[in-house]
Order: sequence, then structure tokens, then C-alpha cells
Amino acid sequence: MRLGRIFILTTIFGVTSLWSQNKQLLYDFYEIPQSLMVNPGVKTSEKWHTGIPFISGLAFQVGTSGVTVNDLFANDGVDFTTKVRERLIDGMRRKDDFSTTSQIEGFNIGFRGKNRPDDYYSFGIYGETDIIVYWPKDLAILAFEGNGGDNIGRSFDLGDLSLRGEMVNVFHFGINRKMSNTLTVGARAKVYSSIFQFQSTKNSGSFRTTQGQDNIFNTSIVADMQLQTSGVEGIVDILEEDTSTTQKDLTSLFAKRVLLGGNLGLGFDAGFSYKLNPQTTITGSVLDVGFIYNSKDVKNYTLRGNASNEGITVILPEDITSLGNDLWQDLIDDIEESVPYEENDSGYISFRPVKAYGSIRYDFGQDEGSNKDCACPVNISSGQNDDFYRNSVGGQLFMMKRPRGVQAALTGFYQKRLGRTMSLKATYTADKYSLTNIGLGLNLQAGPVNFYILGDNLLGYRNIADSHYASLQFGFNIISWNDN
Amino acid sequence: MFLLQNVFEPMKRLLVRHILAATILAMSLSCSEEQDFDQFDDLSITPTVASSLLYLESDEEFINDASVATTFYSQTFNFDAFSEQFVAERLLEGTIFYELENTTSKRLNIAIEFLDEAGNVLDTEIFNIDPEPTPTQSIAIVYGSGGKSLDILTTTSALRVIGSNLGDSTSVSNQQDPKVIVRSAAEFLFRLK
Repeated sequence: MRLGRIFILTTIFGVTSLWSQNKQLLYDFYEIPQSLMVNPGVKTSEKWHTGIPFISGLAFQVGTSGVTVNDLFANDGVDFTTKVRERLIDGMRRKDDFSTTSQIEGFNIGFRGKNRPDDYYSFGIYGETDIIVYWPKDLAILAFEGNGGDNIGRSFDLGDLSLRGEMVNVFHFGINRKMSNTLTVGARAKVYSSIFQFQSTKNSGSFRTTQGQDNIFNTSIVADMQLQTSGVEGIVDILEEDTSTTQKDLTSLFAKRVLLGGNLGLGFDAGFSYKLNPQTTITGSVLDVGFIYNSKDVKNYTLRGNASNEGITVILPEDITSLGNDLWQDLIDDIEESVPYEENDSGYISFRPVKAYGSIRYDFGQDEGSNKDCACPVNISSGQNDDFYRNSVGGQLFMMKRPRGVQAALTGFYQKRLGRTMSLKATYTADKYSLTNIGLGLNLQAGPVNFYILGDNLLGYRNIADSHYASLQFGFNIISWNDN
Repeated sequence: MFLLQNVFEPMKRLLVRHILAATILAMSLSCSEEQDFDQFDDLSITPTVASSLLYLESDEEFINDASVATTFYSQTFNFDAFSEQFVAERLLEGTIFYELENTTSKRLNIAIEFLDEAGNVLDTEIFNIDPEPTPTQSIAIVYGSGGKSLDILTTTSALRVIGSNLGDSTSVSNQQDPKVIVRSAAEFLFRLK
């Protein structure tokens, strides 16, 4: 009972929508050093920066594209089973998902090259957890209603089971180069150190009960299903062991895997910023083009084959001597032999969820006397700041590869720079799941200390339990803008 | 030291002024309707599971050739499907469907006995089937509310099927390929939660 509740609540709370990894507020917010993490080719202004370890970049995103917590748990007097049936079982589609993403930066450091001042180098470590579970609609109906009654003749799609998740520690090093006064490009190399990974994304098959040819019902199953896991077995073993060292063992295991002791992978980010004219800039980036080779602590589970049965069949006189007494068990054995559930420890490659951004920005409201130390773009060749504009407006496109295809989001934004120490960015994001996602970002610069906080889907805070999506990013950095 | 002071003083200002203000603002603006997570205890999941059980077919020649005078078939099957712990603990009610078809020239009797682990008869279903021409009989036996005791199913460990010939052993039906067919299936209502 308790476990079931925890599972449901975790599923509903601990998840975010398909566009959860969209960091539209941070993207091209070049006053914040972490904007390099979503576009290695963003315009950089700093001489150097260092994030305050473990609080320089924290991002949590939670939500659902389908049912909300409020839909189910509002104290509205409606029978809970009725709500589950109408809003979850009947209301959600197979494309709806639950997912969660969180990122915690260990550290993030950047500095401008002494010999090549047009180059800005950055490196660091961050941990990321990303889990997505699509709503297994047909399997949920099968569990809720069964294969009998009105479901005789219905084909349940086993391909509705689709999920993917991982916890990974990322070591990265990036170079941002100002190629000219109009073009900045950047790239970042990444080494992934996996803590755990699981995926079951290419399932197919069906389960169906129909009127039988000989007997009353015919039940058939065609299955090609697989769950691949790496790093999970070791964690489960520790949790299941009945000793007083569970926490210590877990800590030790995590520490080892965080520091390149688990499954490893490689990847890269790339991006650019290009000024079409002094006031118009286009940008683009592609992130996490990479893979992890999972060879350690691998456990895969498969269910493949097909079977059909109409119960115990006895045809006389043929079967009078050939059949024993264990016909039912023989029938079960036959089915299990035809659709075997198997385990193996074969290594596999998991690909990181690739993300891509694009944007166009128009700056206006030029500030006079911009040759000051500030959080604004530095023209290295002249040693002076670029023109400083108080306002920016533009649009962004985000796309992300997910198990069931590419998910896209379109964002419009307005950015306001209030003096030299404060900058605000407001976004409106639209996608197939939400047309009311308004976000607000704040960047503060007090001396060398930089603080930023970015909150998404602010309208959802009117009733947080009814929100499909909640996102918060914040962090502290220390930034040096020039030699002064 | 000077550097640290340079760093932490502004940070302190930020923390005290801006973050506190932002937190208070966010907390004052965000709200949530009352939620009752104890509702989860009221969730009722009761699927209906359907499956065929037994298909028995015998041609008329086999019935006529039976060595024992009236019983042409008797067989006991181990059958723990109903008494498996998962099923027995969750079964709310069930219906077993039988379809009986006879195109032979003789009156037949089919008995299905439900046996417990010790071989004791818990219940018996007896079907008398008229000789052809006779329509297919469909019979539904309900267990649970308003029907027979569920204990019959949940303690059944074996089924004994007995086919008896209540007619002669020489006549042959005019029907093409005369035979007796017994079909059976079950629909059970379970409580998963």
C-alpha cells in the first residue's frame, strides 16, 4: 500500500514534461556565465568567472504533460477511483509523459586566454538526472479493466511501454572563440561518467483475447520487449542487503561512479552567435551529441516471441494416451517457452538526449557612455565595450530528441537591462502541452558577485498542484570583467 | 582577505535583500488548492480476466468403442490456476462458461468435478446432452456474490472430467463427422487494489 502510494506520488511529482530540459530563460542570457552551457558559442564578456562550488548552477524541473496532482488529489469530493479512471486511464494519451530533470553543478570555471584573448575557456563538472516515462496507456487499461468483458477483441499495444532514465556526472571543457566582430563560435567536449542508466524504448507487440476458433476464447501474445539497465543492479543489491552499512556502501558506490569509475561515454556541444547587423543577432547550438558505452553492472531483461492458446485441448481419440495429468502446467510451460522471459548482461550503447537551440535577437535602446566595466560584451581588439543596448527582443526554438520523436518548443522573449547590475528576461513559451508558460529570469551583479534566478511557468504558481510544469534554476558566480 | 571581503559583502547584500525579497514574494504569490493524498487508499482496481479453460472433443466412433460400458472418458488434471496464492487472495467473483455441442446419435452426460488437494470432490457440474439434433447449450455458472461459493475455486487443485454414454454403443449419427464438444472458459473479477 505504502509502496504503491509512493510510486504514484513519485511518478506524478517527480516528472516533467517533454520540454523539461528547455532552458529558454538561460539561453542567450549572456550576462550569466552558465549560458555557455546551453550555447558554447554565446557572446562572452568576462575575463574570468568561477561558480561557487555546488551552488553555481542548480536546475530542477518538474511537471507532466497529462494529469496533474490537483486533477487526482484535489479535495473535491469526487470518488478517487472515478478520477483515476476518467482523468488518468481515459484522459491521458500514449504520448503523454512523466519526467524529471535536475542538474547540479559541482564547479564551473572560465577564463580568457592570455595569449589568445579572443578565446574564452571554461571547464567544470555537473551532475544530471533525467528520467522520462511515457504513459503506458494500453497496459494501464489492461491492468485497470482486464482483458475480459468489453475488452474481448481489443488489442493491447505492448509498445506503449516506453521509458528512459539516467544519472550521469559530466566532465566538460569548452572553448569559445570570437572569430570576428560579428561571429563567435564555441565547442565543448564532454566525458560522461554514468551512475546508472535504464531504457526500454523500442518495444512492440500486442496482447489480445478474441472469440476462439475451437474454444470460447483465444488469447494471443506477440512480444518484442526489452529493458536495458546498467548500474541499477549494484544499487539495488546494496539497498536490499540487510546490513548497517547501506548508506556507507551507497556513498562509496556513487563516489566511485561519479569519478569515472562506472560506465563512460563521450560527447560534445557546439554553437555560434552571428551578428547580422549591429542590432540583430542569430544564435544556434546543439548539445549532448554523445553516447555512453554501458558494459559494467549491466542487466537486461527481454520478453520475445509469440504464443496463442485456447486453454487445455483434449481431442479424442488422438490424445487418450499422449496426455498426462499436468495439462494446465504443460500449457503454461509451452507459453513460457514460446515467449521466454530472459536476462542477460550484454553491454549496450545509450545515446544522450540531443538538444538543439536556435534564436534571433534584436537589441534596441542604446545606452550612452558604454565604455565602462560592466557585465556587457567586451570588444577585445579595441579594449572597449560593444554598444550596450538596454533592451532585447527575439524568438527562440528548442528541439530535443526523445524516445518517441523530436519535441519542439517556441519561445518569445524580452530582455531588459536596468543599469549595469541588473538584467531581467521574460519569456513566453508555447508547445503542444502548454500555451500559458510565462517565465521570468533575474540576473544581479553586485561587485564581482553574480546571482541569477530563473523561474518558469509562473502562472502555474497560482495553484502549484494544478501546474503541468515547474522549473527553477539559480546560482552564484564570481566574475571578473577586466583587469580593473 | 581583501578579496574575500570583496566577494562576501556583496553576496551578503544579495542574500539579505534580493533573495529574501524574492522568496517572500514567491511564497506569497504561490498557492495550492487543498490536496488529500489519503484518497489513494480509496483506489479500487478490479480488472476482469478472461481465459479459455478446457476444450474436449470426442468423435462418435471413440464413444462407441469405449471398453467400459457407459464411461467413454475419465481423466483427472492437475489444475492449480484458481488456487494460486495471487489468484486466491484477490478473486472477488467469477463466472465459468460452458458450451456443449453434440452431433452424435446418443444422449451423453458430461461431469466436471472440482477436487481439492486431497482429492475430495468440492463441487460437480453435470451436463446432460440430448442426441442430435440438439442446439448448442450455453451455461454460465456464477461464483461469488449470488452464486456458488468462491471457496470452490480457490481450493480447487484438480479437475476430473467424466464423459458417459447414456445411449447405445452401436448407432451412428447421420451428421457429418459426428462428435461431442465441450468448451469452457472463465471470466474472473480480481481486486488488484
